Amino acid sequence: MSNAGSLDGFRVIDFTQGLCGPFCTMQLGDGGAEVIKVEPPGGDFSRRMGPPFVGGESAVFLSVNRNKKSVVLDLETSYGREAAARLARDADVVVEDFGPGASERFGLGYAQLRGGNQKLIYCSITPFGEEGPLRDAPGSELVVQAMAEYTASLGRIGDAPVRVGADVATLNTGTFAAQAILAALFHRLRSGEGQRVAVSEFGSLLHMRGIMWHSMSDPDDWYGFHLDHYTNPPDCGYQTKNGALYFILRRGSSEDWDRLVMELGMEEALADPRFNDYGRAATSIGRYATEVKPIWEKAFASRTREEIIDLVKSMGGDAVPMMDYPSLVSHPQVEALGIITQVDHPTAGYFKMVRPVARFSETKDSIRMPPPLLGQHTEEVLGAAGLTRLTRTDSQ
Amino acid sequence: MAKILDGIRVFDLTLAAVGPWATKLLGALGADVIKVEAPGGDRLSHAVPPMIKGNSVLYISANHNKRMIELDLKKEADRAIALKIIEKSDIFVQNMRPGAVERLGLGYAVVSKINPRMIYLAASAYGRIGPMAGESGIDPTVQAFCGWCGITGPEHGRGEMFRHLAHLDITTSTTIVQAVLQALIARERTGRGQLIEIEMLTAAMALQTTRLAEYFATGQQPAPLGSAAATTAPHQAFECEDDRYLAIGVERDEQWPGFCRALKLDELISDPRFATNPLRVTHRTELIPIVGERLKSKPAAWWMIRLNKERVPNGPFLTFEQLRAHSQVVANDHIIEIDTPHWGSMHVDGLPWKFELTPSGPIRAGGKPGEHTAEILAELGIVDDRRADVSK
Repeated sequence: MSNAGSLDGFRVIDFTQGLCGPFCTMQLGDGGAEVIKVEPPGGDFSRRMGPPFVGGESAVFLSVNRNKKSVVLDLETSYGREAAARLARDADVVVEDFGPGASERFGLGYAQLRGGNQKLIYCSITPFGEEGPLRDAPGSELVVQAMAEYTASLGRIGDAPVRVGADVATLNTGTFAAQAILAALFHRLRSGEGQRVAVSEFGSLLHMRGIMWHSMSDPDDWYGFHLDHYTNPPDCGYQTKNGALYFILRRGSSEDWDRLVMELGMEEALADPRFNDYGRAATSIGRYATEVKPIWEKAFASRTREEIIDLVKSMGGDAVPMMDYPSLVSHPQVEALGIITQVDHPTAGYFKMVRPVARFSETKDSIRMPPPLLGQHTEEVLGAAGLTRLTRTDSQ
Repeated sequence: MAKILDGIRVFDLTLAAVGPWATKLLGALGADVIKVEAPGGDRLSHAVPPMIKGNSVLYISANHNKRMIELDLKKEADRAIALKIIEKSDIFVQNMRPGAVERLGLGYAVVSKINPRMIYLAASAYGRIGPMAGESGIDPTVQAFCGWCGITGPEHGRGEMFRHLAHLDITTSTTIVQAVLQALIARERTGRGQLIEIEMLTAAMALQTTRLAEYFATGQQPAPLGSAAATTAPHQAFECEDDRYLAIGVERDEQWPGFCRALKLDELISDPRFATNPLRVTHRTELIPIVGERLKSKPAAWWMIRLNKERVPNGPFLTFEQLRAHSQVVANDHIIEIDTPHWGSMHVDGLPWKFELTPSGPIRAGGKPGEHTAEILAELGIVDDRRADVSK
């Protein structure tokens, strides 16, 4: 079964829009599941995220919707609701982000579906969690980042807020949703029981910031990067003559350290206790890294980034250039790992994307289908489900 | 009630954050996680401040839901014990520098011979092939390398690091958990284990899939935009009359009329420059000053009332002191307080998922290195003959 995926044979009905749910179901599709993306007649709203658009499709949409079939159903019509419920009742997994209570209005609530399918795994995604005063509140990437204090680790105190540029609230939550579904599928394989699972974007980000909550419980003192970072200035890496880098010293010896200090002309560091222990507390996440950064940068100013990186590596430290996307995407390491792949899309042509992350030796993840055009598989999927006659009736 | 991973044992040979956070989540799902550490543990996990009662918060926070055993894998007697635990385990997770685990004689080739059903997860910073094969990395080095600082920062300013230096670590951890669960499903169907490899770099790039897509489409580096989203508008922070910032996110076209009504800018609803999201993104520089000026004219509280009525996503910039008692956080157990055996009462991250039938958790503090050595060996029926070994 060398070409088989771990999720072959599972069918997922995906009612979600935007980035979170679609990123979740894309990962299930990568694993081999058949993913049916049910879209309203106007399409998933992420089809209108942009510019940029390629061949009439949103680049953002393309990046989170491979390995899916698109079926258009209007849940405002009785036919649409009936067809959706039929698909959902026959599925292994349903994923929805309608908001608490809203799925019931469409006849797609868990209680409504499980009567016809005891083995169903039903995943609900909300912005803030299903309990509490904000259970019905709508969210957005920035709103969730702001409320989870993500912006407290960026920018400068008193300045306008800065968000994480990546879509972490939605995409990280998509992965947690995939986990919950996989865990429930594993349980079903062992017990025969389906169940309902739920994740939220707010809860996901607060989970991922967990080290912070521990740190502030009762620290012995207020230092260390988890605490200092609230008041530290923006960190743009270490500047050199020709660009920024980032480095950490951790495996040095006395001999290596002396050589580094001499080559950089930093003899003053030898008498500075903040550089004790071969500079281990003086870089990266070390206690004194922020305050001694100007000393490093003064030494780096007359040297190239490549020189410093080689020097640090020669004493067992880690050093990398700070990269932008053009340098990243063409980097030989990214190429060696085959991280960028491409799909052939009906209108966008060959479009690049990041491959599935995990590499399995046996049940491999794969990209089998490009992101779908809106409604591209409506007839195929509804026909196979015996809903064709219903379609005709409806259109009369 | 039964938990999902009841009966699944994890041999945890993990360091720092990436591996430990993953096995902590497997533990929360019910797996019996045995964390194996060399005497004294790894320096990174135990020495990084801040500390609580002398222990690193990194170590404490990433090692809940586990039992701790100390084994010096460079010694034959300890290694023999490890192999016996491996025989009785289902999942092997390690995130050592590539090559290090093979030097300990615990690479996949060895482990899969002892236990063909083993799901063996090897995580690294940059993988085992390519010009950077074998290089180690931690969250900030991967942040620097993976391009994400270039899309984060003030508008027209320099790109910057996310100073919560664990997000890409834990992103990788969650990818590990997902892959392990997939492999467990596969094993349930095929009876066989397998090797899974994950790089932090790939996980970090997958997390940027939407932003990399902009680059692939245009060939242009996306610039830092402060708090603003690149492909939806208006979706950013606005300063209000009371100098507070309010996060507002209009991501869907159906939210736009309500947003205009909330701001009493009804004339914008029919303004052709702003009729759809792509138009609003294209005309961002015309749109934002109009909206920003209006929002600056009243306090944030007023706009929150009006935006909530119209169901337009909005929210304040909160801090830990507000979050830990926030009724939404408390109601959903997003942050919880637990008692720990060594460190007193702690605020910890709540679980990221809810299962209706098979409850996950409760979160239980791990322990100090080696704390459960005797208990684990007795339970697994493994005779600890290392003292005899020493006397030879």
